[in-house]
Amino acid sequence: MNKWKMREIVVMSVLSVVFAVVYLAFLPVGKLLVGFFGPIGYDLIFGIWFIVSIIAAYIIRKPGAAFLSETIAAIIEVMLGNAVGPMLIVSGMIQGLGAEAVFAATRYRLYNVWVLMGAGMGSALFSFVWGYFISGYAALATSYVAAMFIARMISGAVIAGLLGKALSDALAKTGVLYNFALGKEHRRNKHGAA
Amino acid sequence: MNLQELNPSVKAITLIVAVFLLAFVFDPITPLVFSLGIITITFLFGHVSFKRWALYFIPFFIIAFGFFWTTLVFSDSSNHSGKLIEAGFLTFPLEGFQVAVSLALRVLGFALLSLLFILTTNKTDFLLSLMQQLKLSPKIAYGVLAGYRFLPLMLTELKTIRMAHRIRGIHRGKGISGRVRELKRYVIPLLASAIRKAERTAVAMESKGFTGSRQRTFYRTMNISYKDWVFLGMVLALYGVSVYTSVSWGYFEWYNGQL
Repeated sequence: MNKWKMREIVVMSVLSVVFAVVYLAFLPVGKLLVGFFGPIGYDLIFGIWFIVSIIAAYIIRKPGAAFLSETIAAIIEVMLGNAVGPMLIVSGMIQGLGAEAVFAATRYRLYNVWVLMGAGMGSALFSFVWGYFISGYAALATSYVAAMFIARMISGAVIAGLLGKALSDALAKTGVLYNFALGKEHRRNKHGAA
Repeated sequence: MNLQELNPSVKAITLIVAVFLLAFVFDPITPLVFSLGIITITFLFGHVSFKRWALYFIPFFIIAFGFFWTTLVFSDSSNHSGKLIEAGFLTFPLEGFQVAVSLALRVLGFALLSLLFILTTNKTDFLLSLMQQLKLSPKIAYGVLAGYRFLPLMLTELKTIRMAHRIRGIHRGKGISGRVRELKRYVIPLLASAIRKAERTAVAMESKGFTGSRQRTFYRTMNISYKDWVFLGMVLALYGVSVYTSVSWGYFEWYNGQL
């Protein structure tokens, strides 16, 4: 934590706050889908709930960014009055760890599309194992659980990985990330091209 | 005892422990008795308005119902005894029905625990307590508090952006695709301004001497008192009673990947 600059911490917190609101906004969407499709409804859009890990890690590029941002987002969700309650903080930590594990495996050096998609899938994997234990998915037919798992992995890779990257790159283009790792990379690439 | 006066961290941990304990059991009776107990505690000690509670509770009830019917339809029915339950023109294996009820009640039990927390906990107290009892780094905690304060500011910002767009002749989107396109126009400007504000806030915090050191003092200290342990004991006792009832009625089952 001492290697972090204050601005990185506050920006990460603000991103977490913003996405905590987004996360809450997507809960009714998930509920609607669950109403139609059963428990798999959540898995279709589950990637949205990992997105802040990917964005924070991609922008800041420091150990802990994925884990901390997801944990903070969960704390904010609880503060805002989320219905899942304090338990959500544990879920958030586990999802954050999934993404963090993938970034750690690259020794926090590689941040290309594949790694970001992999991080989204890491979160999906961790959250699924956790959900399997806590929500009693085991009571469902194996083929249904497998379908849920595949839906969640794809959702993690596409919504969290690809959408997260697209959002961060669009932000970098505006120049506000001047002082952050991603902004610096964009500047280097621009000069390299010119 | 008043649930509002409890230490938020201890309260949160107590409820997380309860969720874990509940997750180990998979039968209909334990979560049913436990849920009834939690409702009693919420209203007896929580001073929660029923209207507010119901408003939060209804969506959970719908989710639990979703779990109920999908489990009933998709439940693994390879090893049922052949007993059937008839409901109108539908028939289900008895085991499948019991599993579905267990799953739905477990989801409801989790929901009731979180409602108890949300409706009786002050947000700032929760963060102060995370910092003071659970040693959350002050850098993060104050960062989060600052970020939390941005929410109303961002709402104002959103209105400003919307008006700026409108004055330049871009109107609100019609239909779902229009709404999505509208959202796309707002996301990046909103995030960009939030990041700028965050950077300025960080500079301001540092210039006023905020170092984020753990050796700091607090204007408001959060304490743990005997009441917190009473609450913990109460929840654990309730769990014990629920399990006991379930065992004595012959329903009790551990959760080991049922069916």
